[in-house]
Amino acid sequence: MAHAASPFRQTMKTLHDLNVEAALAAPAPLARERAITAAFRAHEHDSPVTRELAVLSSQFPSSFEPIEDGDLIAGRIRYPLVSFGPEPGGLGYACLAGQIRSVVTERGLDEAARAEAEELIAFWEARTTESKTRAAYPPALAAALPSDAWTSDSGAAFPLYRMAGTVLDYAKLLRLGLGGLDAEVAARVAGAEPAQREFLEGLRAALRLVAASLRHYAAQSRSLAADCGDDAREAELKVIASSCEAVAQRAPATFHEAIQLAWIYALISGTWNYGRVDDWLGPFLARDLDARLLTEETATETICSWWRLMKAYENQFNNRVIIGGRGRADGDASDRFALLAMEATRRVCLNQPQLSLRFYKGQNPALMARALDVIGEGCTFPILYNDDVNIPAVARAFGVQETEAAQYTPYGCGEYVLAHRSVGTPNGVVNLAKCLELALHDGWDPVARRQAGPRTGNVAGFASFEGVWRAYAAQLEHFVAALAEQERIEYDVAGREAPFLFLSALYDDCIARAMPIFSGGVRHLGGTNETYGNTTAADALLAIEHVVFRDRAVTLPRLVAALDANFAGPDYEALRQRLLTVPKYGNDDDAADAMAQRVHEHACGLTRAQAARVGLDSYLVVVINNHANTILGRTTAASADGRRACERLANGNNPTPGADRSGVTAFLNSLVKLDPGIHAGTVQNMKFSGGLFRRHRAKLEALLRAYWAGGGTQAMITVVSRADLESAMREPENWGHLMVRVGGFSIRFVELPRDVQIEIISRTLYE
Amino acid sequence: MNDIVGIVFDLQRGALHDGPGVRTVVFLKGCPLRCAWCHNPESQAFAPETGRSGKTYGWATTVEEVMAVVRRDARYYAESGGGLTVSGGEPTAQYMFCAALLAAAKAENIHTCLDTCGALDWPRLDALRPDVDVFLYDYKATDPARHRALTGIEPDLPFANLARLLEAGASVRLRCPLVPGMNDDAEHLGAIAELGRRWPKLAIELMPYHEAGEAKYGDLGRPRPELSTHVPGPAEIAAWLDSLHGAGAPQAALG
Ligand code: SF4
Repeated sequence: MAHAASPFRQTMKTLHDLNVEAALAAPAPLARERAITAAFRAHEHDSPVTRELAVLSSQFPSSFEPIEDGDLIAGRIRYPLVSFGPEPGGLGYACLAGQIRSVVTERGLDEAARAEAEELIAFWEARTTESKTRAAYPPALAAALPSDAWTSDSGAAFPLYRMAGTVLDYAKLLRLGLGGLDAEVAARVAGAEPAQREFLEGLRAALRLVAASLRHYAAQSRSLAADCGDDAREAELKVIASSCEAVAQRAPATFHEAIQLAWIYALISGTWNYGRVDDWLGPFLARDLDARLLTEETATETICSWWRLMKAYENQFNNRVIIGGRGRADGDASDRFALLAMEATRRVCLNQPQLSLRFYKGQNPALMARALDVIGEGCTFPILYNDDVNIPAVARAFGVQETEAAQYTPYGCGEYVLAHRSVGTPNGVVNLAKCLELALHDGWDPVARRQAGPRTGNVAGFASFEGVWRAYAAQLEHFVAALAEQERIEYDVAGREAPFLFLSALYDDCIARAMPIFSGGVRHLGGTNETYGNTTAADALLAIEHVVFRDRAVTLPRLVAALDANFAGPDYEALRQRLLTVPKYGNDDDAADAMAQRVHEHACGLTRAQAARVGLDSYLVVVINNHANTILGRTTAASADGRRACERLANGNNPTPGADRSGVTAFLNSLVKLDPGIHAGTVQNMKFSGGLFRRHRAKLEALLRAYWAGGGTQAMITVVSRADLESAMREPENWGHLMVRVGGFSIRFVELPRDVQIEIISRTLYE
Repeated sequence: MNDIVGIVFDLQRGALHDGPGVRTVVFLKGCPLRCAWCHNPESQAFAPETGRSGKTYGWATTVEEVMAVVRRDARYYAESGGGLTVSGGEPTAQYMFCAALLAAAKAENIHTCLDTCGALDWPRLDALRPDVDVFLYDYKATDPARHRALTGIEPDLPFANLARLLEAGASVRLRCPLVPGMNDDAEHLGAIAELGRRWPKLAIELMPYHEAGEAKYGDLGRPRPELSTHVPGPAEIAAWLDSLHGAGAPQAALG
């Protein structure tokens, strides 16, 4: 079976590529990386607090980039290729060896510099937090998860290395300011044990680094203002300077100061999802507007500038900004911010931030009305989240009260975190379609050509569909159990390696307990498991049940032979056509949807059950999507739903592209059948035509209302016409503006690889 | 009643263009007309057919089976003011099935539309009135000779039935296919405007000619009727609307 080499890495601009640009542009190549390495080396055997502080002090403020023309807020960052952080450069202490080597090559560095770079890479090899995590796997776990290269290797499950899934308590930061936060920590020092005291003093030192970074920008904007020669720009720079100076010492008093402090903290912390921004900024905005210190126009332009800075912090999978929803301290003030935020999104027309609107019955209707206007213009944002369904669902899934569940915050590609109360980093990827593939080969991976999963029986021995199901379930259970253990180990290693001071300072209970976030500090230590290919697996299972066991049209071994041959062979195409006629999920078809439910409930239930076993407060499935359905599809053999080898898997828990042919109501009815109370977030893509938005707005609103009332959790809506997409493939030069939603992120359509473009076009468009 | 069998050739859920709100449209197979521009050639014959591609057009089903699907979208009807639309073909040509389907929907309080050309005896049409909330009523050509040439039938019955429906106070949406060079003449547009003036509550929808159905003729092995026309552009459509609005029919709109 031929598997095309992945074109993705060449076409997708990643954070790591950007780092290479930064390192290339630096006057002394790899100087920052060497300095950080030296700081680590000097403190390698000191306490984790001392070591982290040494590295952070070397990393900041030097990683902050200059203020650029037009910036109304200070704060641009370039992570070095060796760094410490929760995820921007990698997990904890991270070294991007491949990128370092490209710098050496592209800069044409001499032999000595090359040797020095190799020495640096070799130094980190066993010292990165990622390599320490892998080294901590017991042999059985290492055997179950042999590869970390999920974008290229074939496999059913892969670990991911990062401490994602954190949303800091910005409301507290803005209320107390750096000084007030420091005072709270200082008060806790008295009476603390020595180890606790060291941690608490570490937090205080970290806060001083934030202040130093603010002063760094204050000085920079003062000097830019002095040389600028343009009165208007000079005034803007002076506002930046005075805000930075102010919040370096006291709590913010204005909207601008509040954004400035929060943004620098977000950047330095290495977290890139910002939680309920309207909740923490709304009161500052309302106060300034009411006191006439600020006009709505200036406020909107400030937000636009902030959005552009988020875009500069290139990460289309993150940069979440949440507005709306229950449980905000000052609903009216927050709504005012939310409306301006949507206007800013409309104006900047970028694929970031991922503005997300939570809503509930009885919320100010202006928010949803505005949201649909902005979506109708083709912005893909805001993404919509239905609190009336999600809050009770999150309470059930996480096992918390609804008051706490009301703080659910979509993160990254769509996993829920309880803002500053829970961590839920998604550190495992499992491919359900691949698990079925293994089940049909007694655990053998026909793409990787190795025994990848447990031996679950030869297909010739499966006398009923339940035999197939049991084999599939056993494969999935094997891999999910491994991923759960892996998640626990990753937390433990991260906690042993570092206190993650910036996170700990703004996470509930860390200060009170005087414990670092991953060493007992966080209130709710959860984890999430990204499942892919759910619908592909469900449709394939139903096809097996109908064609093999009900209709007896083909034997199971013969079907597997057809799959192995990728349907190329005698009668195989006819068989494939027959498989395609079996009902598919997404058509409100009872049999197809029941299988999707069975797959969903099994995967979610089995994942949840791991939490107690591995010692997490929760461990939940997320059915998010990014482009992983396309990437994992490339290493997944042909499947019994009629999909050919290497083709994309179905997206999130959406229907297989193009298989939902029974109208938008049938599609929506299928979506709401999957229980939302047993996972930590799903992604529902919907494509509507522009005409529907323009000419049938009332009908569209009614459709959505009925969907929400029926249990709809979420919607990300792309407004586009099929003709638009086809023209964009033909003449990419004319369609640079066309933004589409690929599950977990928005992107310019023309920047996508061809197979992803085809996948998007093939999704059903509702006109 | 609900076990009456009919031949259906399509069932569209989440339809937004065939009556108020979000609707389920049930297309009954068979039509006594032969409109030159018909873009649903598979709707014309009464029996199920198989195309050259192997695709089958039409299946036998019962009122209850159709209702089982219609019911699934009750939530959407309630939110949008939508419901069931019975269309065709000419749905009244399968009279018993059509009547039973409308009655079944009404019995469940589902809003109903009947999409008809009105070519049936008045008493039979009249008998459907209690179960039809809105008639989507085709109005194809005004000049009798032209009507005959373009549709294959005399216009007398459809015209008379339209007048009777309006006089009886039925809610009617006039649906006017407009095919450039074939029925967009001044006389026809004038007659549409006249109806609009006379019946201010009559909705008027223009349905400009399009070519979506071409491939299906080929699949059914039937020659596509030669039409000397073209797909009207935005300016032409705007001119039709202007002339109707100018002639005192402000309710005319694009369908
Ligand atoms: S009445 Fe409708 S279905 Fe019948 S021929 Fe005319 S256009 Fe076609």
